[in-house]
Amino acid sequence: MDILVLVKQVPDTEAIIRAQSDTELDIENKYSLNFFDEFAVEEALRIKEKLGSGKVAVITLGSKKAVDALRRGIAMGADEAFQIEDPALEEIDGYATAKTLAKFIESQGYDVILCGKQAIDDDSGAVGPALAQFLGIPYLTSIVELKIAADKKEARAAREIEGGTEIITCPLPALFTAQKGLNEPRIPQVAGVMKAMKAQIQKFDLKALGLSPEDIRPKTKILKFYPPGKRPPVKMIEEEFPKNVEVLVKILREQEKAI
Amino acid sequence: MAGIWIFVEQRDGAIRKVSMELLSGGKELASTLGEDMAAVLLGYQVGPMAEKLAKCADRVYVIDDPLFQYYSADSYGESLANMVHTYDPSVLLGGSTFMGRDLFPWLASRLATGYAADCTDITIGDDKGIIAKRPMYGGKVLADVVFPQARPQMATVRSNVFPLKSLEEAARGEIIHIEPKEDSSTIRTKVERAEKKATGKVDLTEADIVVAAGRGIKGPENFHIIEELAEVLNATVGTTRAVVDNQWRDHNDQIGKSGKIISPKLYMAFGISGAIHHTMGIDTSKVIVAVDKKPNALIFDYADYGIVGDLFQIVPALTAEFKKALSE
Ligand SMILES: Cc1cc2nc3c(=O)[nH]c(=O)nc-3n(C[C@H](O)[C@H](O)[C@H](O)COP(=O)(O)OP(=O)(O)OC[C@H]3O[C@@H](n4cnc5c(N)ncnc54)[C@H](O)[C@@H]3O)c2cc1C
Ligand SMILES: Nc1ncnc2c1ncn2[C@@H]1O[C@H](COP(=O)(O)O)[C@@H](O)[C@H]1O
Repeated sequence: MDILVLVKQVPDTEAIIRAQSDTELDIENKYSLNFFDEFAVEEALRIKEKLGSGKVAVITLGSKKAVDALRRGIAMGADEAFQIEDPALEEIDGYATAKTLAKFIESQGYDVILCGKQAIDDDSGAVGPALAQFLGIPYLTSIVELKIAADKKEARAAREIEGGTEIITCPLPALFTAQKGLNEPRIPQVAGVMKAMKAQIQKFDLKALGLSPEDIRPKTKILKFYPPGKRPPVKMIEEEFPKNVEVLVKILREQEKAI
Repeated sequence: MAGIWIFVEQRDGAIRKVSMELLSGGKELASTLGEDMAAVLLGYQVGPMAEKLAKCADRVYVIDDPLFQYYSADSYGESLANMVHTYDPSVLLGGSTFMGRDLFPWLASRLATGYAADCTDITIGDDKGIIAKRPMYGGKVLADVVFPQARPQMATVRSNVFPLKSLEEAARGEIIHIEPKEDSSTIRTKVERAEKKATGKVDLTEADIVVAAGRGIKGPENFHIIEELAEVLNATVGTTRAVVDNQWRDHNDQIGKSGKIISPKLYMAFGISGAIHHTMGIDTSKVIVAVDKKPNALIFDYADYGIVGDLFQIVPALTAEFKKALSE
């Protein structure tokens, strides 16, 4: 069983991020493997361990920092790492990312592709479904459970929907996007980290993939960035209990008309 | 090439509220552009819903077929791609639901067009293209996204972005039935069963009122006071990751970065400290009320109204006070 996992290095949830100008962000230098991609890597390793055979490869599209996502994947236990890097890929959208990844993945053997539910930088959740479309394979998003059939030809997954879950089967090869709840990602051991530092990363650029900058022209453009509207300052209701409760109810009903 | 299309989501015989909101918003966008608005409804035994939609939209495209009982990109996506090729709309909007966020990116790549996810506003720019406003980096930054050339311009939009207006009688739309090209062999993902939680409550992502408790509630046995308040307000109950990690509530109820993004008209937080991962999920709520015993709890930086106090005292009193007020 060959499993490919898409990993992305993104600003940590704690990083300070500000719009510096209309088109530029000021991002504090704190990066980590995308929160949801950790579940994807973990699930790949568990499938391999359960079957007792197979290979897990981690793939990223990105420049320098992206290598850390690959190393984290190796440290957790992945066998191989691939990096797609090209100056022409610096400013692309989900469409172009998926198209480029698809072009690379077409040349690889695989049974299962795992990725995160969304990258917590662009918060799109677009790359997984778009990649499955380019590859012509079925996909299930936001999964919280995954079982591979003994004949390795089918998968059964639970995906989160509003107010419950759906149990769905699909033939392999297929792509799955990981939601929190799928598993508990392992913390890399020292030996893994040592291995990751030495791991060889196989690199590909656009030319190697047979793509031209024209092929990956993005379909959307960010006109401008700006800070979220500040919420007005809080009004503390200072009256003693139970008067404060009465005041709050009155405000919510009469002033805010929220109830 | 023209027209705004709204992908109308239905489950179990009911149209999702966010879809009705999108029809309200879409109507205004369409009139600004001087174009038509059409509704697209896919499913099985959806006739009555199509009739209802015909009163709101200029046209209703319908596929009513047993194969469409459950959503799959192989059925819904392929059919929509064909319909878009045939009728060429300039804009296609859907709710930012699990279905919308599954379907739209697949469809956009199939149509070689652009997609903006989880938007909090859609407006029309000077060039008559849409401007999709969306939070990024967990809401730390907002971005205006445009679609320079590709059509249709596709976006999923959160609940409670467009106010719900009564649209009936606004139009007497034509219902256009479409025969699907799919058969059961082309649909690869098969839904075995759906497991619903038996709460019968509106989902957090669509609720008008959400009441939530964090670790301050001390244990699962105390959640009944939150449930009782929710009952009186017809609200949905939410919670924090700390509570879910303690297994006091199901992950379905979690609000925040790794849970659900909510945008209710009223959000009430009890015993929730206000960690950034939680507040990322509540940013687009209209009115936020917080009750916490610590005067310096971070949640007060996000709230519109705050009370410093013991939730075990405040919550039951609030329930009683609302009950009284609502019966007047
Ligand atoms: C990558 C990542 C993702 C995360 N995703 C999420 C997410 O999606 N959602 C989420 O919620 N969290 C998330 N978290 C966790 C988050 O950082 C916080 O740990 C969590 O939100 C805290 O939950 P809490 O407010 O219930 O608990 P606490 O922080 O422990 O706060 C409890 C509050 O209750 C108050 N209190 C105690 N007793 C009473 C009383 N009797 N009356 C009134 N007040 C009382 C206390 O003063 C305190 O303010 C995430 C963390 C990480 C690292
Ligand atoms: N540049 C990238 N390199 C590798 N994987 C990516 C990249 N961008 C997105 N992904 C994968 O696709 C998922 C969804 O990303 P997004 O569509 O950007 O929200 C992520 O969780 C990753 O698993």
